[in-house]
Amino acid sequence: MKALLQDWPPLRGLLPLIGVLALWQLAAGEQSPNFPPPSSWYPAVAGLAARGLLAPAVAATLSTFILGLALATVVGFALGLLIGAVESVRRWSSMLLEYLRALPPPVLVPIAVLLVGYTETMKVAVVTLTALWPVLLNTVAGVAEIPDLMMDVARSLHLTWRERLLKIVVPAALPALLLGIRNAVPLALVITLLVEMLTGLPGIGKLMILGQRNFSSPQVFALLAIVGVLGFVLNLVFLIAENLVLRRWPPRPVIHG
Amino acid sequence: MRRPASIEGLGGVLLFLAVWELCVRSDWLAYQFLPSPSAVALGFKDLLLTRPLAEEILHTLTAVFLGWLIAAAVGVSMGLALGLSAGARRYTLATIEVLRTLPGIAFVPLALLLFGFSLRMELAVIIFPALWPVLVNTFAGVAAVPERLRDVATVLRLAPLDAVAKVYLPAAAPSILVGLRLSLTLALVLAVIAEMLGNPEGLGYAVTREQQGLNPELMFAYVITIGFLGIALNAAIVGAARLALPGRFGPAELGTSPG
Repeated sequence: MKALLQDWPPLRGLLPLIGVLALWQLAAGEQSPNFPPPSSWYPAVAGLAARGLLAPAVAATLSTFILGLALATVVGFALGLLIGAVESVRRWSSMLLEYLRALPPPVLVPIAVLLVGYTETMKVAVVTLTALWPVLLNTVAGVAEIPDLMMDVARSLHLTWRERLLKIVVPAALPALLLGIRNAVPLALVITLLVEMLTGLPGIGKLMILGQRNFSSPQVFALLAIVGVLGFVLNLVFLIAENLVLRRWPPRPVIHG
Repeated sequence: MRRPASIEGLGGVLLFLAVWELCVRSDWLAYQFLPSPSAVALGFKDLLLTRPLAEEILHTLTAVFLGWLIAAAVGVSMGLALGLSAGARRYTLATIEVLRTLPGIAFVPLALLLFGFSLRMELAVIIFPALWPVLVNTFAGVAAVPERLRDVATVLRLAPLDAVAKVYLPAAAPSILVGLRLSLTLALVLAVIAEMLGNPEGLGYAVTREQQGLNPELMFAYVITIGFLGIALNAAIVGAARLALPGRFGPAELGTSPG
């Protein structure tokens, strides 16, 4: 476990965060309308939990996130392999991909809402569609950087295209895939919350907007803290998974021709 | 990697548009609100004639640049402090690791609560997330300044401020610029989000407005405009970086890292 988190900085670095929260607790009045003290956050979420609203919202957000990210990984990697491996496809799609890279992902949400409507399918589809691009673009770059020499080796060994894919292309693209997923993780979480806030589909995002509409600042802060923990844990889980994958399939030294 | 041939790239775009047009015309893609590219082109005409496009672009750009500049100023100074002092690093890095994974969008309800529908609300949403790429890259760039260069500052007995201005910042500049570029991209994304959910102004609001008004042609026209704005911002900062540090950036360093 420790080796998997080797880059993690010393825990005493958390002191500023704890200090700010403690000062806040001491300085803010119990009824402060804008900056309610941290001690008032817990009753706010406990109230939500007692009404049976919190757990389903967290479950809805998490399941959309996981499903969307998984689909984006599979589709993005497959398309990325295709585009990266076939030179002509890469050239023909270059300008489209360049444009999609620059397009801010949130604008795809209103399009999906208008086309598909306010449904759970739309929610997963839009997360998939946006989280796809970092995976796809990184995979394309990873495959495109495989040295020609390695493909020549494959040719002279008379490998079938299947063997080429599994023995050369996929292993070489693996680090790029992981980098792509690392970029997709925060994006998928943001888009999930955005869809919930924008459409009122169930999830933490919806609860946050409701808290803001009711001027319940403790609820907004409490949910902000929950989203913060969620973001932190999801990134951590991915980091550990990444290290496990890289330990099992270490990146091979690249042979340049 | 070879530079992609732009003629084939353009051909790809035209092919994509032609297939899209055919799919819509032949009712093969029968979504009620999916316009064909030719309808979107007409939508662009409507957009220019009947919508305050220039004001909307100006509003979004103002939010993006103000937020980005503030994030950059705070990020560079904090990153410098962290890069220079191992003590500061030990006592803050874990906090930074926790805070930087907080999704920026989670600040939208809070910013709405505190600032209502205003430019300040947008800035509150932009600054926090846009801070981290600058901070982390500045810190990494300063921490990676070679020992010999640090010795030069010591031997010349440079005052601390001189050492920062003449040795550390120039040495860390390429890394800082990468952070600034990432942060600018992020600022546009967050401005659009803030306008979609909160402040009813600018391009982000325009997209949701046309979506709710069931004007798909105009909505697509706005979305395409936002994409071009993203390209323009990226090109502007890459160009500025090349001007500031001639010869330090090939196309690979600044142009192609995934956003």
